[in-house]
Amino acid sequence: MTLSLSAVMLLGIGYLGLLFLGALAVERGWVPARISRHPAVYILALGVYASAWATYGSLELAGRAGFGYLAYYLGVAGAFLLAPVLLVPIQRLSRAYQLASLADLFAFRFRSRWVGSLVTLVSLLAVLPLLALQVQTLGDTIFLMTGTGAPWLFALVFCVLIALFAIAFGARHARLHARHDTLLAAIAVESLVKLVAMLVLGTYALFVVFDGPADLQAWLDGPGRSVQAGIEQLDPTRWRTLLLLFFAAAFLMPHMFHVTFAETLSRRTLLQAAWSLPLFLLLMALPIPLILWGTQRLGEDGAGIGEAYYAFALSDAAWLQGTAFIAGLAAASGTMIVISLALSGMILNHLVLVALPPGKQLGLYRWLRWLRRGLIAAVILGGWLFYRLVGVKHDLTTLGLVAFVGMAQCLPGMLALLYWPGANRKGMVSGLIVGSLIWLLGLWPPLVTALPGLILLPPGLEELAGQAPWYLVTLVSLTANILTLILVSLATHTSAGERAAAEACSVDAVIRPKRFPLIATSGEEFKQQLARALGEDIAEHEVERALTDLGLSPQESRPYALRRLRDRIQANLSGRMGPSVAQDIVDRFLPYRGDGIAATEDIHFVESRLEAYRTRLTGLARELDGLRRYHRHTLARLPVGLCAFGEDGELLMWNDALATLTGIDGDSVIGARRDNLPAPWGELLGRILADPHSRLYKQPVELAGELRHLTLHKAELDAGEDGHGGKVVLIEDHSEMKWLEDELVHAARLASIGQLAAGVAHEIGNPITGISSLAQNLRYDTDDPRVLETAGQIQQLTERVSRIVASLVGFAHGGRHVSGHTLSAVSMADITDEALHLIHLARSGEDVVFENRCLVEPRVLGDAQRLLQVMVNLLGNARDASAAGDRVIIEAEPAGEWLQVSVTDEGEGIDDSVRDRLFEPFTTTKPPGEGTGLGMALVYSIIVEHGGKIDINSPPPGQATGTQICLWLPLNRQEVAHADEPDSDR
Amino acid sequence: MYVYRIMLLLVFGGYLLSPLLMSGWASPGVAWYRPFVIWGVLIALTLWLEQKRRLDER
Repeated sequence: MTLSLSAVMLLGIGYLGLLFLGALAVERGWVPARISRHPAVYILALGVYASAWATYGSLELAGRAGFGYLAYYLGVAGAFLLAPVLLVPIQRLSRAYQLASLADLFAFRFRSRWVGSLVTLVSLLAVLPLLALQVQTLGDTIFLMTGTGAPWLFALVFCVLIALFAIAFGARHARLHARHDTLLAAIAVESLVKLVAMLVLGTYALFVVFDGPADLQAWLDGPGRSVQAGIEQLDPTRWRTLLLLFFAAAFLMPHMFHVTFAETLSRRTLLQAAWSLPLFLLLMALPIPLILWGTQRLGEDGAGIGEAYYAFALSDAAWLQGTAFIAGLAAASGTMIVISLALSGMILNHLVLVALPPGKQLGLYRWLRWLRRGLIAAVILGGWLFYRLVGVKHDLTTLGLVAFVGMAQCLPGMLALLYWPGANRKGMVSGLIVGSLIWLLGLWPPLVTALPGLILLPPGLEELAGQAPWYLVTLVSLTANILTLILVSLATHTSAGERAAAEACSVDAVIRPKRFPLIATSGEEFKQQLARALGEDIAEHEVERALTDLGLSPQESRPYALRRLRDRIQANLSGRMGPSVAQDIVDRFLPYRGDGIAATEDIHFVESRLEAYRTRLTGLARELDGLRRYHRHTLARLPVGLCAFGEDGELLMWNDALATLTGIDGDSVIGARRDNLPAPWGELLGRILADPHSRLYKQPVELAGELRHLTLHKAELDAGEDGHGGKVVLIEDHSEMKWLEDELVHAARLASIGQLAAGVAHEIGNPITGISSLAQNLRYDTDDPRVLETAGQIQQLTERVSRIVASLVGFAHGGRHVSGHTLSAVSMADITDEALHLIHLARSGEDVVFENRCLVEPRVLGDAQRLLQVMVNLLGNARDASAAGDRVIIEAEPAGEWLQVSVTDEGEGIDDSVRDRLFEPFTTTKPPGEGTGLGMALVYSIIVEHGGKIDINSPPPGQATGTQICLWLPLNRQEVAHADEPDSDR
Repeated sequence: MYVYRIMLLLVFGGYLLSPLLMSGWASPGVAWYRPFVIWGVLIALTLWLEQKRRLDER
């Protein structure tokens, strides 16, 4: 009564104006996202729970029930303390299925649009008194401060402003389940404002009215005791009932459900709220007794202005009264904004769209948006009307308790939804109707008429008759609600759809989705089908959006992916039109095929869900999941290709080895049908699946331009009790083995040729010896110089033949391991000469110039035949790599403890990619059919056996092209060799 | 999991024992701020459990 009306209106409108500007700043991006999206913003937004009840209603309750007022804060603190087991599962459901309200959640779980409509009606009836409470505090406080006679009119002005704010910042999107950063930031600011205002009031009471905590305690122990003695404390049963009501309100009240679940808080933020929201509420609750006691000390008895508005009696100072007013305005406006948004969505989805299903009208989303805006305004004005007609006759506690008892009627259904898959629609609807009727009959008649409430106490509870109506109604209605739900659910049939939804909702559900084939076989067909319901533009938009959400391409045709696409479209439509309408649309226009194909479990989907929810698994389930992951990992990392097909021919597994072999990523093909796999895999796998035998050996397949030989094994998976039938196929790459087999055959052929050559050489040796002897004899028998010359030439030629034969025999005997028996001091110059000799026999590359620059000394200890083989291979390679006229230089010179032997050619050189694996078997730079790829491997093994090493320079130092093979053979091997071979050489 | 069990136990136990909070309203010799201290301890306990849970699920 110290402020003018214009000042109060200016203060209120100014506050809302600043809030509007702040919200605009967030929306335009003037406030950095790291601030507007900070977890603290979300947590403060949850402070929307602290409505005008927290600022004024709690004072009223504290004045009547002492610390009983704490139930309002502790109930919600308990609910958030149970966030991991209570709120997180609801959040998971609401996010997975785009369920933006309690009605959406119930309609989804109990598979009925009527359930959603019923929950919406109950919510609407329950929330109206709470809305009226908010409006009433506005009217009352304006009247209190100004003494003006028409507070309802000024309350209407504030209601209109609040409705405009809600429409401007809360109904921008057609989707309910969207992130409203602006709205959340505004609600967070409101929470902060009311908290600061309450703390200022509490501090004023403690340090100005009292002289600090000690003075307060002294007053409480002295003069204040008589005042406090008049307060009737709540008995434990009523206290616990109040706690239960506020516990339920924490997640059932539309505004709390909206901020906690429909706004996309992260799971982590929600878990942080388990301690931070109770802390916020503690700070909000702390000033309440201080204000109450401060006012009592000043001599206010509550008769004048009512306990609810004691904050205004602390002082006549305008700033303090303004602070108390702003605390209430911030609390009331925040709650009204969010309630109007939440309720408008529920009414739209579960009353309006059920009565008027959306057609193909143009601008469907625009129509939905305007409808929602109208409903927001209607809800807020409905709250004002309720205040005007009903609320003014009642105190805040009465209005608030009617609301909280009404909303608690959804508690049994919610708990059954989460924890009892056996509950069914009939049970839930019966329980809710029975409970709500008891609530309506017990608490509404005294609210809207002068008649008393009708409370029928069951036999045995008659002695409770004198208790407060809210307590009796809560007791009777919730008991009847729970019993009806249980009994009717047990006595009636549960549909298959409900059972599936129950499993999806249940906290400990075993999620076992089934694989049904869809009629539509591509994204395009989805669009065509949905266009019949939503119009072409919206159908295309929805399908594109779902494809983007899932990261799928528009050409997607995998049955698994199409099923996920269908689910996503349903979830997205649910966010816009509610789950009932969304389900109707997809069931009607995107149906499953009903051609008798047995549904099988969607194992891949189950696995992906398990992976996503892994952290939620506990105890035995977690251990089993660990085991599953281990087996899964084993199969995925198996060094052999593996794929598995379900009974319906859908690909369920494609492991890493197979992905590497085929070059096809598992994620892109899992869920596809076998015949849709890229060539040649569809045909190849089809062959093994259709083959009566369980193996296909060495099937030639061209992969990346290379011929590979694959062996496929198949095993049938019998559908046991768990029904997981199908086929598993192992794919082994046997290309190297095939190559090795071919080489072995080739080597055996060469070996037999070698043996033949040795035999032939031996047979030739005898006549050659004879020819040589005869030529010798001829020289003895004649002095004719021409004959002597001829005989000499015959002898030279026979010696040459003998040397050739000896070389052939020697080379044919090569291939033994180096051992002490064959070691001798050899000169690389001689070895090179002999190798060159053999090379020239090949009669190819005769125009390549070989230069043997090897020094005769020093010699190395080695197996002459094996080293000869080394040089033949190296020189042969150099010759093959050289063009006509090129030179091949062979050098051998000591280098420290080594004899360095190098073979340098002027050919094209060796590619880097080949050089690293040149010493591996079957690596060759020669055209197919010309090289075995074994030569360099043999060279490497012989040099290593000799204790040497080998290196490749390509190009050699000082040359532009060519290759230099360098061998290092140990010069001091002699002693070691002798020490190792006592028997042979000693 | 063990953390969740502790939380369940804490909330249910708190629900049953909570009437004790109110007994100090007018009792002489009982500090007026006692319920808030108990509440503050509960919040600290929840914060500790929340951090323990995060470690448990890491």
